[in-house]
Amino acid sequence: MTLTQSLKAGLISVLIAGTATQVSQAQVPGVTADTIKIGSFGALTGPGYLYGKLPMNGIEVVFDEVNATGGINGRKLVLVREDDRCDPAAAIGAVKKLISEDKVFAIIGGGCSNATFAARASLDEAKIPMIVMASVHDGITTPLSPTIFSVALTSTLESQAQLEYAISQGAKRIAVISMRDAWGRARYQPLMEAFQKKGIKPVLDEEMSPDANDATAQVLRLKAANADAVLIVLYPKPAAIFLRDAQKLGFKPLAVGQTGIADPAAFEDQVGSPGATAQFRTISMVRYTPEDPAVDKWRKAIESKFSGDRLSVFNLFGIGAAQVMVEALKRAGPDLTREKLVAALNGLTDFKTDVYGAGITCTVTDHRCNKAPTWIAKEPGKPVRVLGVTKVE
Amino acid sequence: MALFGRHNVLLAMLLFAAVAPSLLNAYYVFVANTILIYVLLAIGLNILVGCAGQLAFANAAMFGIGAYGTGLLQVQLGWPFWLAFPSGAIIATTVGLALSLPALRLSGLYLALSTLAFAQFTQWVFLHWESVTFGAGGFKTPSISFAPLPVSKTLGLYYLSLLLVIILFFLAQNLMRSRIGRAFVAVRDGDIAAQSLGVDLLRYKALAFGISGFYAGIAGGLYSAMLNFVSPEGFDLFQMVIQKAMVVVGGLGSIAGSILGATALVSVLEALRAVKGFQEIVFGAILVSFIIFMPGGIIGFLKAKVRGWEEPLHRGPPGKRVPIATPSQSGEVRS
Amino acid sequence: MTLLAYLLLSGLTTGALYALIALGIVVVNKATGVINFAHGELFMFSGFFAWMLHVQMGVPYLPALLLAVAFGFMLGVLIDLTAFRPLKNSDVISLVLATIGIAFMLRGTARVLWGGKSDYLPFPPITSPEPVMIGELMVIPQQLLVLAGAIVIMLVFAAFFRLTRAGKMMQATADNAKASTLVGIRVDRIYMLSFGTGAAIAAAAAVLMAPLTLLYPDMGFSFFIKGFAAAVLGGLTSLPGAVVGGVAIGVIEALAGGYLHSSFIEVSAFIVIMFVLIARPTGLFGPSGLRRV
Repeated sequence: MTLTQSLKAGLISVLIAGTATQVSQAQVPGVTADTIKIGSFGALTGPGYLYGKLPMNGIEVVFDEVNATGGINGRKLVLVREDDRCDPAAAIGAVKKLISEDKVFAIIGGGCSNATFAARASLDEAKIPMIVMASVHDGITTPLSPTIFSVALTSTLESQAQLEYAISQGAKRIAVISMRDAWGRARYQPLMEAFQKKGIKPVLDEEMSPDANDATAQVLRLKAANADAVLIVLYPKPAAIFLRDAQKLGFKPLAVGQTGIADPAAFEDQVGSPGATAQFRTISMVRYTPEDPAVDKWRKAIESKFSGDRLSVFNLFGIGAAQVMVEALKRAGPDLTREKLVAALNGLTDFKTDVYGAGITCTVTDHRCNKAPTWIAKEPGKPVRVLGVTKVE
Repeated sequence: MALFGRHNVLLAMLLFAAVAPSLLNAYYVFVANTILIYVLLAIGLNILVGCAGQLAFANAAMFGIGAYGTGLLQVQLGWPFWLAFPSGAIIATTVGLALSLPALRLSGLYLALSTLAFAQFTQWVFLHWESVTFGAGGFKTPSISFAPLPVSKTLGLYYLSLLLVIILFFLAQNLMRSRIGRAFVAVRDGDIAAQSLGVDLLRYKALAFGISGFYAGIAGGLYSAMLNFVSPEGFDLFQMVIQKAMVVVGGLGSIAGSILGATALVSVLEALRAVKGFQEIVFGAILVSFIIFMPGGIIGFLKAKVRGWEEPLHRGPPGKRVPIATPSQSGEVRS
Repeated sequence: MTLLAYLLLSGLTTGALYALIALGIVVVNKATGVINFAHGELFMFSGFFAWMLHVQMGVPYLPALLLAVAFGFMLGVLIDLTAFRPLKNSDVISLVLATIGIAFMLRGTARVLWGGKSDYLPFPPITSPEPVMIGELMVIPQQLLVLAGAIVIMLVFAAFFRLTRAGKMMQATADNAKASTLVGIRVDRIYMLSFGTGAAIAAAAAVLMAPLTLLYPDMGFSFFIKGFAAAVLGGLTSLPGAVVGGVAIGVIEALAGGYLHSSFIEVSAFIVIMFVLIARPTGLFGPSGLRRV
């Protein structure tokens, strides 16, 4: 058989299988008498896998716990993963596959910002309920989508919080250093708007690439400009290089991070320069860092199910999102429909999860359900401290 | 003509493609439309790399220029799609033509690197020229409508893509059969010899680059309409690798091979969804196995195994490897 | 201290990173005429292997380094056997794609094995992490070690190619494989040795550089691109060219970042290379002018 023939035969058999299952399908997609299929999309491969694969691992351990006690109203939860490689086209394909082919009931997903944003149209069209687990792009939840809810802090919230924090600590000459990729830009723009609203301008606006190995030029300029606080919109690696070079060149500002650098203990190791992180403060989407005993249960779950892995904040993102979904599914009752799930999600008020800084609250007009950026810091040689939770509107 | 001859297989694929939307669900229609777009990219790249022998890595960048061009003309200047689409392709073609200038001086891996450098530069422009390109966040393109015709946007775009594939396929076939095609092959197999036979290098290299830019630009315009979203991610080096893989897997130098290669690769990428976290490993393994066991690509395999598959295959003679870094001719040992 | 001095120093230290990668690429190319697009992943994978030995299993630094280099050598030999040998007579692009396929496999495997541990893995440096003063400038000792490493490797291999029999056999093979076989050189063995050596250099580079750059599965590619650019800039067959190219790219990036704006850092090197290649198509130290007809 030639290759084209085999391809066509394969395609036709998939078609037949698809039609056959359609005939025997329950009326509500993804729900049978004893299972609920939940889909997830995000990066499983490529650099974005931290925001895709690892949160999905977190979702699975929550599902395992729920299934061990009999599931929700007698139905066990099944997770279907799809890879979007952090690419918008692949995300649209992944979402279409989850909806039309895997026929999932609802989705917990969204790793990379641009990818999730591009997929929003397909999600809205299918009216499938979705909880965003890690994407921070504002456009996913604004303008309001009736079926998309987010438990990830949006980039606007975080950027506002960063600026507020720096001002509250008495900084007068605030500078910004950012990455200009999609993730960075989603934060940079609201940050500039936040500056404008306060009527101040950043003293300097620097840039670093995600793979950069040197920050000497940026540090020298910031030092010359006498910046007393630097708002860091970077991933851990460039941030680590930045703080290391700052230490090397004798520049010690207040360093204000965000949820991209959510584990100050790991970050201290990454910087590798003793004392460089003394003035580093950062936001966490979740209240606990991985070493905290409060999340021991989840550490055991992740490290036993995924051998070789270590519990990380990325797992915690998925755990929180999954707990919210589980609660909403419970409230939607045994006669499960997508409309009921959406109603249950809309009704969540101050729902406490194991991980988020405050309770989760969604309303019919605002689906940004997590507005509690938690400030954390780690003094060298001491454990991580929670400094407080800022409530942002 | 034999039952599995080239014409029959291609015809069968065409018929399937024509009725596909009525048979397949939304996901598969999306995949099919993606295949059509990649077929265009593969044909254009094959003309440049397989037929004219220019080891260029800029195709993904021109794909991006086509997408950005079409999208930005609609969003920034308010042009309708019917005007923006060909204009975007023309912009990509022009850029391709400009790229042919360094190609005159460079060959082999040096050309590869300079086109790669250009591709990085294009990415940088997409990211940093925020006032025009909207930067890293990308932008949404307006949803196009096929107004007087009673078709939905998805269907309309699918058939538009199919139509363009058919037209541009025949264009490419005829091009390769013409004097221009023969000149390309002459340039690939020995550009000094070609020059001595009167083939104007500048003209034909420019033509090859321009044509591949045109095909990439058309593909880019369709892509921007299909996704309704343009951002820098889709036009990076991974994209370039996929395109190169399509051309090699299909068969360097064969236009029909580009169709098979594009179909095969997009299908493989979608089929790999089943392997969840191991995609990269399996994709790499498939790619390596393909190249080792089917050195002539699918077309080479078909020519060898299937009777009746006649194919004007413009490949270099076997065993010939274009020198990469030309070592010096003298006998001295250098360090 | 003047801005210029700081920038030059930082360019030198970053450039040393690129130079180390470029050296591995050039060593392989000198002997086989091929660019191994999986070179970055070899670097990354050996780095993770060293991490596993040194950080996870507690193997002391020097044995871990030697084991990682040996491991890298074996990976290189593996690539020769699987990708290069079957494709020796194919066209360039097939070879390039085959090595890219292997790069994907290595990256995916690293992600599966080590990706769940952290976003970026820190690696302890041999030297103390405290910066030291040189004149009025501060430098992290590990950076000096990387620079020293690059120079040592360059000198060792320059001597190897010029003075030893194996080195001369490698060059002969690259020049004309058929003729080399005729005079009795075991060409297949030479290829295997070359790939192995290139990979071993990558492994050594990884262990030296990991404390500075952190380990993550996707690090290979960005280093490969810079290293490839440095190698081309220097002329693909010149070892001193690789070092000069690497340092040049580091310095260009530093100067662009310092005097223009930090947004130019990533792209400045590529712009310069495009222009250099137009002026000198075979790189700064590459063979000049002659073309095979």
